[in-house]
Amino acid sequence: MAKNYQYCVAECWGSGFITLEDAIKIRISGFPGNVWQVPAHNSDANLWIMKVAGSFKTVQEAQAIVTAEVEAAQAAWDALPEDQKNRPGNNSRPTDIVLPE
Amino acid sequence: MSTYYQIFGGKINVVTSDPSNPIEGQVWYNTTSEVLKYRVVTTSAWASGGNLGTARDALAGAGTQTSALAFGGKTPTISGVNNTEEYNGSSWTGGGNLGTARYQLAGCGTQTVALAFGGYDGPANTGATEEYNGTSWTSGGSLGTARRDAAGAGTQTSALGFGGAAPSTPEITGATEEYDGTSWTAGGSLATARRGLGGAGTQTAGLAFGGTTPPITAATEEYNGTSWTSGGTMGTARNETAGAGTQTSALGFGGYDGTANTGATEAYNGTSWSNETSLSTARQNLAGAGTQTSALAFGGVTTAPIANTEEFTGGGVGVTRTVTGS
Repeated sequence: MAKNYQYCVAECWGSGFITLEDAIKIRISGFPGNVWQVPAHNSDANLWIMKVAGSFKTVQEAQAIVTAEVEAAQAAWDALPEDQKNRPGNNSRPTDIVLPE
Repeated sequence: MSTYYQIFGGKINVVTSDPSNPIEGQVWYNTTSEVLKYRVVTTSAWASGGNLGTARDALAGAGTQTSALAFGGKTPTISGVNNTEEYNGSSWTGGGNLGTARYQLAGCGTQTVALAFGGYDGPANTGATEEYNGTSWTSGGSLGTARRDAAGAGTQTSALGFGGAAPSTPEITGATEEYDGTSWTAGGSLATARRGLGGAGTQTAGLAFGGTTPPITAATEEYNGTSWTSGGTMGTARNETAGAGTQTSALGFGGYDGTANTGATEAYNGTSWSNETSLSTARQNLAGAGTQTSALAFGGVTTAPIANTEEFTGGGVGVTRTVTGS
């Protein structure tokens, strides 16, 4: 089955990480663990990954990174005392994220 | 293989200089530069901006895309902060600290003339209001109804605060208050009481959208300085969202859709919402500033509070592109 997306790990440094030109050319989506999703088989996406010095990941590797981040956040949330879970403004328990192929 | 002629019924125009006013989809060959060119209309897009110095969520914002203000919020320890940061279009630098550290506060105004009000200061909801002059915060008149998770619109001397969660029962309120630079007075209440909503506009032409009643809602209401009336429903119901712009030209982005964080972005034209390009990083409890076509999203939470800033540029701009061999 043809892949629709490819993944990399890169740290967002701020301005210039995703330029307006990048964003117009390709859809770039960020996930926990500094995982970034871009279109597969796309030269602009490949150039962007090179620009940000991204480390290519398979979808399985990217999923493992995201899942580890989510599970750590879920464990931290679960460990909170009940009064803190119910404290105004506390966010709900982080939900699982499934990365598409 | 089909040819251009077979598809369009005509040949590509061959010209010595680019047409002065090309339309979307027009293709031509420029013999001077020896390149094939075409005209497209851009879609909207979010680009990266400078990261906040302090990663946080449940913060408030004011100003424009190139001159914004971020203040308050909370860190991973779920405690309120008093940090203020100023954005110049590329990076954030520290400003004067709020007198009352808090999160889930509301804000409005500009980078140098801003207003912060309400929020949760640790032990309780607060009605504290503070005014920023570009350097430091000073106390203003307190909200009549102390509340957190409300929305704000307008300016420092003509502000609107609406919705949120109050200490009373029922907790979620539709109460609206108007600030004149000195004190708050009651305005017309939202028809749908809610918290975690987005806001835009002015004191006499405000916009409220999204939030939770509960459940999470897509409802929009428009304020005319006296009362709220129903507006067009958002495509994506969401809570803990952010907004920018005016009542008839607003942008709503980010939030929590009841299942997951969302980066969904929608534009309001005074009647209905339409989809725009989503935030790169889906998040809730973020802050916003700017206009419908030049907005700023900053902070918020994914699995933890984040420092990411994104800059929105509206679409619909004609651009000439060159066909390359690569």
